Amino acid sequence: MNFRNILGTRMLFFDGAMGTILQSKGLKPGEIPELWNLTHNDTILEIHKSYLKAGCDIIKANTFGANPFKLKDTTYSCEEVVTAGIMLAKDAVAKTNKDAYVALDIGSLGKLLKPLGDLEFTAAYEAFKEICIAGEKAGADLCLIETVSDTYEIKAAVLAAKENTHLPIIVTMIFDEEGKLLTGANVAAATAMLEGLRVDAIGFNCGLGPVQMQKLLPDLHKVCSLPIVVNPNAGLPVVVDGQTMFNVDPDEFADLMKDIALSGASILGGCCGTTPEHIEKTIQMCKDIQPLQIVDKERSVISSYSQIVELNNKPKIIGERINPTGKSRLKQALREDDLEYILKEALAQQESGAHILDVNVGLPEIDEVSLMEKTIIGIQSIVDLPLQIDTSNIEAMKRAMRIYNGKPLINSVNGKQDSMDAVFPLVAQYGGMVVCLTLDETGIPETVEGRIKIAEKIVKEAAKYKIEKKDLIIDTLAMTVSTGQENSKITLDTLDYIRNQMGIHTVLGVSNISFGLPQREKINTAFFTIALYKGLSAGIINPSIEAMMNAYYSYCALSGNDEQCINYINHFSQSTENKTSVSNLQQDQVSLFDAVVKGLSESAYTAAKEMLNTKAPLDLIDEDLIPALDKVGQGFENKTLFLPQLLMSAEAAKSGFHAIKELLAKKGNVSSSKGTIVIATVKGDIHDIGKNIVKVLLENYGFHVIDLGKDVSPEQIVQTAVENQVKLIGLSALMTTTVANMEITIQQLKTALPDCKVMVGGAVLTQTYADMIGADFYSKDAMGSIRYANELFAV
Amino acid sequence: MELNKKETLRYLGYKGQHMDLEISNLIDEASEELLHSIHPKSVYKEFDCMVQNETTVLLESLSINSRNLAKNLKGCERAIIFAATIGASADMLIKRYSITNLAKASVVQAAGAALIETYCDTLEETIRNEAILKGLYLRPRFSPGYGDFSLEYQRDFFTILECSKRIGITLTDTCLMIPSKSVTAVIGLSKSKNNCLSEKCTSCSNTACEYRDHYYI
Repeated sequence: MNFRNILGTRMLFFDGAMGTILQSKGLKPGEIPELWNLTHNDTILEIHKSYLKAGCDIIKANTFGANPFKLKDTTYSCEEVVTAGIMLAKDAVAKTNKDAYVALDIGSLGKLLKPLGDLEFTAAYEAFKEICIAGEKAGADLCLIETVSDTYEIKAAVLAAKENTHLPIIVTMIFDEEGKLLTGANVAAATAMLEGLRVDAIGFNCGLGPVQMQKLLPDLHKVCSLPIVVNPNAGLPVVVDGQTMFNVDPDEFADLMKDIALSGASILGGCCGTTPEHIEKTIQMCKDIQPLQIVDKERSVISSYSQIVELNNKPKIIGERINPTGKSRLKQALREDDLEYILKEALAQQESGAHILDVNVGLPEIDEVSLMEKTIIGIQSIVDLPLQIDTSNIEAMKRAMRIYNGKPLINSVNGKQDSMDAVFPLVAQYGGMVVCLTLDETGIPETVEGRIKIAEKIVKEAAKYKIEKKDLIIDTLAMTVSTGQENSKITLDTLDYIRNQMGIHTVLGVSNISFGLPQREKINTAFFTIALYKGLSAGIINPSIEAMMNAYYSYCALSGNDEQCINYINHFSQSTENKTSVSNLQQDQVSLFDAVVKGLSESAYTAAKEMLNTKAPLDLIDEDLIPALDKVGQGFENKTLFLPQLLMSAEAAKSGFHAIKELLAKKGNVSSSKGTIVIATVKGDIHDIGKNIVKVLLENYGFHVIDLGKDVSPEQIVQTAVENQVKLIGLSALMTTTVANMEITIQQLKTALPDCKVMVGGAVLTQTYADMIGADFYSKDAMGSIRYANELFAV
Repeated sequence: MELNKKETLRYLGYKGQHMDLEISNLIDEASEELLHSIHPKSVYKEFDCMVQNETTVLLESLSINSRNLAKNLKGCERAIIFAATIGASADMLIKRYSITNLAKASVVQAAGAALIETYCDTLEETIRNEAILKGLYLRPRFSPGYGDFSLEYQRDFFTILECSKRIGITLTDTCLMIPSKSVTAVIGLSKSKNNCLSEKCTSCSNTACEYRDHYYI
């Protein structure tokens, strides 16, 4: 019978542990268990048979760690080991004459993906692809992706299985007792992503025993609309005489599993420490239980790598600041590849109360596809809010959805057939909620009925791709009221109908209503409040505009969406405090020089802005900023100041420069620099805090710094250095193992650019070591690099 | 777990400079934030240990070539390999603060380094208490990367302890650990109390190191 059809209709049983049994049969510590498929095939066959005799429906082939990374140093290929594993499992099924399924068991690659780790998403995908193709070819009935603890790795594995096989996909993850994955996702966030990717069943395995999994189960059951799998260890590991043991015996295990089945899991099995006896007793205890009916939870959710945002009666704020339209400073940042500026905008909006961030990087003269990808990855490496991928470029949308860690919001599709034909397949493939604009080939209807009709058309077309209403969010299009008296009313009446009659969530780009009018904030606020009242689920606004957030918090309190007005109180009691502290600061205003020396960022910004009214930017740098930095730098070198103090001053100086950059961007000028320096943490090294410190200081001293990041190949460093014909390159490395890559990089640099200078720094380096690898300068701390760069560029 | 401010300050290169309230608050705030976000986890296994000669140690089937480790383990019949981490939150915070507040990033970095050491000390204490019941004493823990004990052995340690599956530490191609605030080490168990004093900085040959703890010299 088709596996997908029986999932969730009756209790199904996985087998138990393989690894811990192999250890008891002589597998040595450090030996790769999957190689036993080829060297000890009888043992593996016997284990499978014993589980089949215990009565299980699905056996996990011994392929858990059969991946190209773990098998790299063996004489076997991934395909050989996977094929042997599947064949053995199938053989066991045939020999026992059981009606059972064979799962291609896919474990974690054992490497962490970027940005936390060093593995590229695409490299992870390729590795999983190799496993999946081999597994299906050898005859697996399903893919079990298990013992994974990073949503990004899970996404790579699911995509590989989905795009290269026709097999059903089950995913079980390791959560800790607090219900978090290693990289921070809670149960709801992981579920949102996996449901978006349309896997067939979701659950827990490893890490915890049945007691702890039972406690986590309600979290999953509450949000999950798919069959649930629970494969616990035989208890939490305990160390006895230096060896890890699992102590829950078969009877106790079976009892606990029964509770788990009654709480809503319909697929049960075991992980580390479980035996055929555990499974047999569990089957006896649970086989006649009728699984709880699976109910669609009808939740409209999007997620980041760690958390969800659910659209419901409480409206949400989508921060609109990362969109270059009408923003000269952001345009400049996009053109100059200044990701840091964008990241700061993202963090600032989060601070201001945004729940979701819009990301639009479309500028005519830039490569939107690669910049979108880079920006999404960059933001997701530091901000845990879900993102709205905002682009009309379908290739950019596709690439961004593919590498997005979580379930994104997509902006947008519209009623044009072309648009639906392009966007809906992507949503079906990668998952996501999608903003639907009520316009089509005929334009934007000027009637409520016209817009509703388009919404209905979109809903119908989405259904063809099995995209449900819960994953649509309709934009009824705010049009400026200055060109049509009726514009606001049409938008709002349509919104009212869609939200309250059709039961679909709604969104608006709120500020469009006031285009062409003076004091736009005033009318925007009023419009926003009415829209919220009519049922706006999410407003795309600028959360740093106080009036808009005032309207938002007030509406939530008045509409019964703010219990005990707690958010209102928190927000406004805080903001009064802020005001008093700001005014205090203004009373005893400090000079730019003092602000930098004392490390006061806000004061430095205010002072610089003030002084720029009367002083030329260059004079401000030479007469105030640099002397202040010199003073602090000297203090650091004389050891009257220590690192955090130096860095606070560096941050303050940066705020001062920020004021200058704003002014220049407004005037359309590009800031001049003393010279360009390329810096990077060398290949293989991931510790880059020292390099980041050097970067900020160099920038403070007026250098243009091209920061290539960490784990950068010699080739990329050389290419960038040559392209920009730079005089100076700064390299950092922390470990002895990576200093070797530093040496290779220096050699290649000297060949390609004989006149360039290379300065190096990092924990294990010494002057002798630096000389040995051919560096021109060894900087023992951040200030050393400043001195060297200043000398070099002064000539 | 408790914060060790003295160690955090040492990692920040503090040498008794004047500290105003702002800096002191910044250090406390960043350290507290880290402390509340960590998820310490550890795993260890015990093995028969044999020091074959001056440069070779045998931990059951794993042969390690290192003069320094052989010296450390001389006279031990058993040894423990352990791995510990405070989790990925330190790396995440450092990354975030590197963008918004570099001073805080440096403090999280230092506090994280101090915390993982404290955690290893706690773990070592547990192991010590178990060992003493069997009449065994602990040698100072010795990690790949110390002296001539090559980092390459990380690969063996990781497979033996199943680090990625059990406690979520993974290894880069260059044998660096992620999360970065993680430690692996060998602890020798010997029947005699000799050579059991903690070495920490003294076992390191880089005497010019900014961060060398002079207490141990």
